[in-house]
Amino acid sequence: MLGGKIGVCVSKPAAAAAAREEVVVKRLSPPPQSPAAAAAAAATKGHSGLSSSKSGHSGLLTSKSGQLVSDSKRMKGLFKSKPRTPVDVVRQTRDLLIYADRSSSSLSDSKRDEKMAELGKSIRDLKSILYGNSESEPVAEACAQLTQEFFRENTLRLLIICLPKLNLEARKDATQVVANLQRQQVNSRLIASDYLEKNTDLLDILIVGYENTEMALHYGVMLRECIRHQSVARYVLESPHVKKFFDYIQLPNFDISADAAATFKELLTRHKSTVAEFLSKNYDWFFAEFNSKLLESTNYITRRQAVKLLGDILLDRSNAVVMTRYVSSRDNLRILMNLLRESSKTIQTEAFHVFKLFAANQNKPPDIVSILIANKSKLLRLFADFKTDKEDEQFEADKAQVVKEIAALEPRE
Amino acid sequence: MSIRVQFPLDPNAYKILDEIGVGVSATVYKAICVPMNSTLVAIKCIDLDQSRADIDSLRRETKTMSILSHPNVLESHCSFTVDRHLWMVMPFMSAGSLQSIISSSFPDGLPEPCIAIVLKETLNALSYLHDQGHIHRDVKAGNILIDSNGKVKLADFGVSASIYELNTFERPSSLSYSSSMRLTDVAGTPYWMAPEVIHSHTGYSFKADIWSFGITALELAHGHPPLSDLPPSKSLMMKITKRFRFSDYHDEKHKKNCRNKKFSKAFKDMVAYCLDQNPSKRPCADKLLKHSFFKNCKGLDFLVKKVLQGLPSVEERFKETRALYGPSSHSSTDIEEQVNQEDIEVDFVFQNVKTRRISGWNFNEEGFQLDPVFPTDSKNDSVVKQVRFGGESFIPEKKIEFSESDGSGELIDSAQSSSLNSPAPVEEEMSRVGGSFEGLNQETMLRGLVALKRSLEEQRRHVAIIIGLLGGETNGEEQMVQMIENLKGELDLEKQKNLKVEMELEVLKIVISGAFGAAASFTN
Repeated sequence: MLGGKIGVCVSKPAAAAAAREEVVVKRLSPPPQSPAAAAAAAATKGHSGLSSSKSGHSGLLTSKSGQLVSDSKRMKGLFKSKPRTPVDVVRQTRDLLIYADRSSSSLSDSKRDEKMAELGKSIRDLKSILYGNSESEPVAEACAQLTQEFFRENTLRLLIICLPKLNLEARKDATQVVANLQRQQVNSRLIASDYLEKNTDLLDILIVGYENTEMALHYGVMLRECIRHQSVARYVLESPHVKKFFDYIQLPNFDISADAAATFKELLTRHKSTVAEFLSKNYDWFFAEFNSKLLESTNYITRRQAVKLLGDILLDRSNAVVMTRYVSSRDNLRILMNLLRESSKTIQTEAFHVFKLFAANQNKPPDIVSILIANKSKLLRLFADFKTDKEDEQFEADKAQVVKEIAALEPRE
Repeated sequence: MSIRVQFPLDPNAYKILDEIGVGVSATVYKAICVPMNSTLVAIKCIDLDQSRADIDSLRRETKTMSILSHPNVLESHCSFTVDRHLWMVMPFMSAGSLQSIISSSFPDGLPEPCIAIVLKETLNALSYLHDQGHIHRDVKAGNILIDSNGKVKLADFGVSASIYELNTFERPSSLSYSSSMRLTDVAGTPYWMAPEVIHSHTGYSFKADIWSFGITALELAHGHPPLSDLPPSKSLMMKITKRFRFSDYHDEKHKKNCRNKKFSKAFKDMVAYCLDQNPSKRPCADKLLKHSFFKNCKGLDFLVKKVLQGLPSVEERFKETRALYGPSSHSSTDIEEQVNQEDIEVDFVFQNVKTRRISGWNFNEEGFQLDPVFPTDSKNDSVVKQVRFGGESFIPEKKIEFSESDGSGELIDSAQSSSLNSPAPVEEEMSRVGGSFEGLNQETMLRGLVALKRSLEEQRRHVAIIIGLLGGETNGEEQMVQMIENLKGELDLEKQKNLKVEMELEVLKIVISGAFGAAASFTN
């Protein structure tokens, strides 16, 4: 019911709605940057989610139904000294971010510190509105208002740009806020997606973030959330940056490389049609890189994750065309056969799931056939004592099939 | 803003000095970082090719450790792979874990003022973690580390969960932090696990850590956690099946030991607060910090003086335990906990024990331990006499004997029952069964038995889940059967609903036709 009201509210021209809210804001809240407000926020920190969501609600009612509600709420607000609506919190955050963005971080005067502390607090308030806190659940209307205000102007841009200037706690909060906003619907639209489509350069910042040890994990989480939107994933896949992932996956810091690998996997598996299109358009360079940089990496964990990902990609029905092409190449076969010979059980098993596609291909090119025949006895011996740790019927069935296929191969006259 | 010093990501920069712990797929070394003034570090070296090491969960663990920043939380300096191994470089906590300190020098527990200090520090860590949306899920003395200055740090985020990460993949629509945020997977170490974690179908949240914290308090006070004389699997079973091998925890010697120990009222009260069966009644970490037990806590130097002085080094202690249990005893819980890394490997050895049914766990504030609660009649609260599962097996499967004092010991075969009751809360069922033995008339008896049967099925399901989780034989077929049963239950419900609706329809039809008839006759 209320959702419907928001709908009406939102669908009005943004400027008009904003103007109306402006009035409410002025009436309801003390100047957003006053230290008193910050102190009040601190004092009621535990309740901030609850009260701001309530007042968010009231803001909505006010803007819809006028003076009366507004007055009573204002009275309440005065006594509670916590009248900030979600919209207020977003605006305050934005103002503080603008300040943070302009001021130089080398300048460490007390005023700046104070503002940065306030910024941290308001980001935390955003988080409690979106996620709720130990005392209250998030309120859908408040989340919708917050989201709409957040993307109405460039708050996301400011937040991403200023992230390195925040302290660790604020960075984490900001990351969770950005992650959450990707799923917030306003008028049953993911407006975050619309915003990112128009501001794709932000994605470039996030991707390159992997190169910054300090920021990588925060930007990484944001990026992974953003590519949940198909259009955003498409942009990233088609951008020149996608090549960088081949290096990011092998960064020396495990937490960062593993995060990049998780994002890379998400990019190549989440949106089926986009992935299929990307892979067929970019087949040559992509698999050349994939083979040489990942499957033939000297790094154990890179090989292991890559061969697993390759299996996931090729075994997906939507990538059938790509798969057929992949299993017709003798170079690819050679690489997979090398992986089959690895001493790591995990890599062997994952490699098998790709290798079986070569063997099962009913239109094997002659050079594939000849390689398989040349290695027939070795392969059959390998499979004879090839077992998984756990019993796996599917695996055994696949193995039997592969053995049958290979055993049946005869050299051509 | 604290900027972390970047430790070298090259194994050659570290010189390994000694092994200080070993687990199933990990070994912990004491080492120095040569280029950094030979700073002492602990390196947890995880074999990635072990089937148990799932890269995604390691990713989460290392990430958690690198973005948490609190004086009472063990951070990692860095992590990198060395061939097939993942190295996690952490500060070296020279006094080791509280568990290893206790087992080497304080077998009957720590002095209360020391307990207060370490618990307060641990609680600071929990307060921070919970504020960050993390549930530790494995709070125990083995995961609380101390360094030579008495600094206390909570360690091991191997099974910790972040509500934000969780939301990322499992709950796209509902994002929430509050208490209704629920996890449902079983994780942790049996003795310390909260009842609601074990009964994971009901879900649990931050308060599960508070329970474990309470158990840890008991562990520090007595030298071991409650039920620890049973293998971990059994402790788990105990809590699930609500049955308790009575003699073990309540033998005379034990009782005497406990009676000789005097604990303050505040301490008992604090633990009782944590060990409330009802998670919502347990305090949150912040609130607990304000408890009077933590007022007037002594400083860390007191801890150094009372506990750390004269303590054998971590290396020595490790060698000792290793000599005691042999190098291959990976499943030994002592070693496991000393390493504070791995989940306990569970062995399923069911001894023949006589069991006595209880309906829950109550913390006995006087005796300062967990006491079993016997099913009681809800009205007069009188204790129902002993009901024993005389099948002589831990999980009674075939025969159930009621050796009621006033009842004639009847043998009833309840095997292979297959009713399709939807799972009901065990506790409720249990107490209902318990209550029914008072009158012992046939009807109530029958009702009781039906409930018992149902509860046994429920329990069997839980046991199967646990077995599955512990890597035992998960039978795909059994799961299917389970699912089919659930579906059948749902179908039955639907059928019932359908029937109701049809009935209503009939009635309406009659009414309408009646009305129509009346109308018709009227027009006629």
